Amino acid sequence: MSYDPHREDYQRLGLRFARSLDGKDPAAATRAFASFGRRFSQNRDSLPQSDADRAFHLVAEATTLIDYELPFADDAHAEELIERGHRLLDEALALDERCHDALRMKQAAESTSFESYYDFLAKSADDVRAACEEARAQAHDESPERALLEADIAMRPYYRWLATQAGKAVICGRNREAIRLSEKLLELDPQDSSDVRFTCAIAYAKLEDEAGLDLFAAKTKPLVRAGTDDAWMQLSRVSLAHKRHDMREAQRLLAHLMATYPHASAALAAQKELPDGVFSRLAVAPFSEDELILAISEGTVLLQEGRDDSGRGVLGTWVARQTGLDGATEARR
Amino acid sequence: MNLHDELIERLARRRSAQLGELSPAAYDELLLAVREHPQTYVDDPEDQAFMQLEQAVARVLHSRESDDLRDDDAFMEERTKRMARLARDCADALELAPNSTHARLLGILAADLEPDQQLDALMELERELDQRLGPLEAPASGDAWNDVFAHGRLRVYACLSRTCLDTARYRMANEYGQKLLGVSPSDPLGARHTCALCLARLEDEQGFGELDSRFGHRGDSWQQLARVILFYKLGRMPAARRALKGFASLCDGGHYALLRPVMVDTYLPDRPAAEPYSFQEVTLAVHEADPVVCDVPDFCAWAYEQDDFGAQAEAYAERHGYGW
Repeated sequence: MSYDPHREDYQRLGLRFARSLDGKDPAAATRAFASFGRRFSQNRDSLPQSDADRAFHLVAEATTLIDYELPFADDAHAEELIERGHRLLDEALALDERCHDALRMKQAAESTSFESYYDFLAKSADDVRAACEEARAQAHDESPERALLEADIAMRPYYRWLATQAGKAVICGRNREAIRLSEKLLELDPQDSSDVRFTCAIAYAKLEDEAGLDLFAAKTKPLVRAGTDDAWMQLSRVSLAHKRHDMREAQRLLAHLMATYPHASAALAAQKELPDGVFSRLAVAPFSEDELILAISEGTVLLQEGRDDSGRGVLGTWVARQTGLDGATEARR
Repeated sequence: MNLHDELIERLARRRSAQLGELSPAAYDELLLAVREHPQTYVDDPEDQAFMQLEQAVARVLHSRESDDLRDDDAFMEERTKRMARLARDCADALELAPNSTHARLLGILAADLEPDQQLDALMELERELDQRLGPLEAPASGDAWNDVFAHGRLRVYACLSRTCLDTARYRMANEYGQKLLGVSPSDPLGARHTCALCLARLEDEQGFGELDSRFGHRGDSWQQLARVILFYKLGRMPAARRALKGFASLCDGGHYALLRPVMVDTYLPDRPAAEPYSFQEVTLAVHEADPVVCDVPDFCAWAYEQDDFGAQAEAYAERHGYGW
C-alpha cells in the first residue's frame, strides 16, 4: 500500500469532524456524520479544518496534477500542469510553512541534480522528524482508535521524507545509506506504509549482498502480500542470480516474475523508465501490470548496469531477450 | 613483461630444460642467443603458436597507433578488419597447438563479443583449463607468474575479472581478482586494480582497506580513483573531497581524464603498460572504472565543482591541446 493523498485528506478532515461531534448526543452525531462524505466532496469549506489541513488538501491536488496527470500529458499541457501544481504547493506553504510534503515536492522540481535533492532531504530530515513528533505529541483524542490514526497521520510526512531519501540514495549510488534509511523507517513504521522495503531490496542487490537480502526478507516476511514476493524483491533476486552468473536460476526467477504479473513480458521488454512520484511512489493495485512497470522503472539501476553498447545495460539486454519480445520492441523503435 | 620478452623466455626455458641443468651464467648466454635469433629456437608447436600470436598482436598494436588520424567510420572499418585478422591468426595458432591458452584467450577477445557472451566464453575456457591442468594453485615458488608457461592461464583470470566488472558482476570480479592475487602475489597483471574498483562499487570499505594495506598503501591511479568513489558512495564527503584532491595531485591530468573519458580499445590480452600516475595510466583507470562511475550519476559533476578541479581539467586540456 502506498500513500493516497486524497484518502489521507479525507482521514484528516474526518478525524477533525468526528472530534467536533464529541459530547453531542449520539443520534445527532450519527446524523451529522452521515453528511460528512457529501460535504467533503462538495462543500469542504463548511467542514472544520486547520491551515495544515487546508495545506494538505492542496498537496493532494498538486499530487494529482504532477504525479498522475503530468506523465500522460503532451508537451503543450505539461507546462501548464507543472505551473498549476507548483502554484498549489506555494499556496500550501503559505498556509502552513511546516507542510513538509509540499516542501519536499517543491524541492524535487527545483533541484538541479539527484545529488542536490538528496542533500536537501538529508539536511532537513532530523528537523522534519522533530516537527512530526511534536505534532504527534499534540494529538489527543478521546477515542483510542482515532488517537492512533491521528498519531500515524502526524508521522506520515516524515515517513515519506525518509522513503524518498532512501530511493534517492539508491539513485545516487549510496546503497548502504539506502539500507540504513530503510531499516530506520521500518523500525518507526513496522507496517511499512511507505513500502520502503521495495527500495531496500534493490539496494541489497546493488551491493550483491545475498545474505543481507535473505535476512531482510526473513525479517519483513509478515509484510509479504498474498504469499508472493513483490516485483522489487523478485527483480532483485533475478539480478543477484545474474550477477553470480547462475543463469539457469536467473531464468527460473524471471519466469516466476513473469507468472506473477499480468502482461509481464511486454513490460520487461520495454523497460520503461518513469519519473518517480514526487509525493510518494504511485498508488497502484498490488500485483497489477502497473505495479510491475513501477518496479521495473525503479529497477533501472539494476537493469542498466555494466558496459553495454545498446544502452539497456547488461541485465536489461538479457531480460529483454528472455521475454522473446526483444526483436519486436526494437523493430518498433 | 611484453609478449616478445615472454616468447624469448619461453624458448630459453624450453631449450634449457632440454639441455639439462644450466648454470645461471650459461642460461644468460642462452637467453642472449635466443634473443638474437628466436626463430631458430622454435621447435615446439606451442612456441610456434605463441610466436605467431605475438606477431599478430604486435600488428594490431602497430595499426592502432594511427587510430587518432582516422575518422570514426574509417576507424570502425579498420578495427573490424584487424580484429577479424587477429581472429584468423588465433584460429591458425590453435591448429598448430590446440592447447594454446593464449590462442584461445586472444581468440575470444578478437571475436568482439558482448560482455555477457565474452564472460561465457572465458568461463568455458576456465573450466577446460581446470579439467586439463587441475585447479589453479599457488606454486611452491610462491608466485605462479615465475613459470612463464603459466602466464596464459593467469591472464585468463585477469580477463575474467575485468569482464565480470564490465558485466556488472562486481563480487565475482573481485573473487577472480583475489584468486589471481592468491596465486600470483606480485600481481604483474594488476588484478588489484580491478579489485579496488569493485570494492568501491560494492561500498566495501573493509575490503578496500585490506587490499590497500596488502600492497603497502603503494597506491596507483585505480586505487586513488576508487578511494574517491568509495567515500563518495558512503556519503563521507570531507573524506571524498580529500581523496579527490589526492587523485588530482598524484595522477597527471587525472581531472581531465575523469571529466573527459576516452575510448580505450580492447586489451590484448594485457592492460597496456603505463608509468605509475602517468596520464596514460589514469586514462586506463578511468576507462576501466566507467561502469562504476556511471552508476554514481552525479559523481563527475560533483568532482567538477570541487575547488578548482574543473578549472584544472580545462587548463590541462588547453596546455596539451586537447579538446574540451
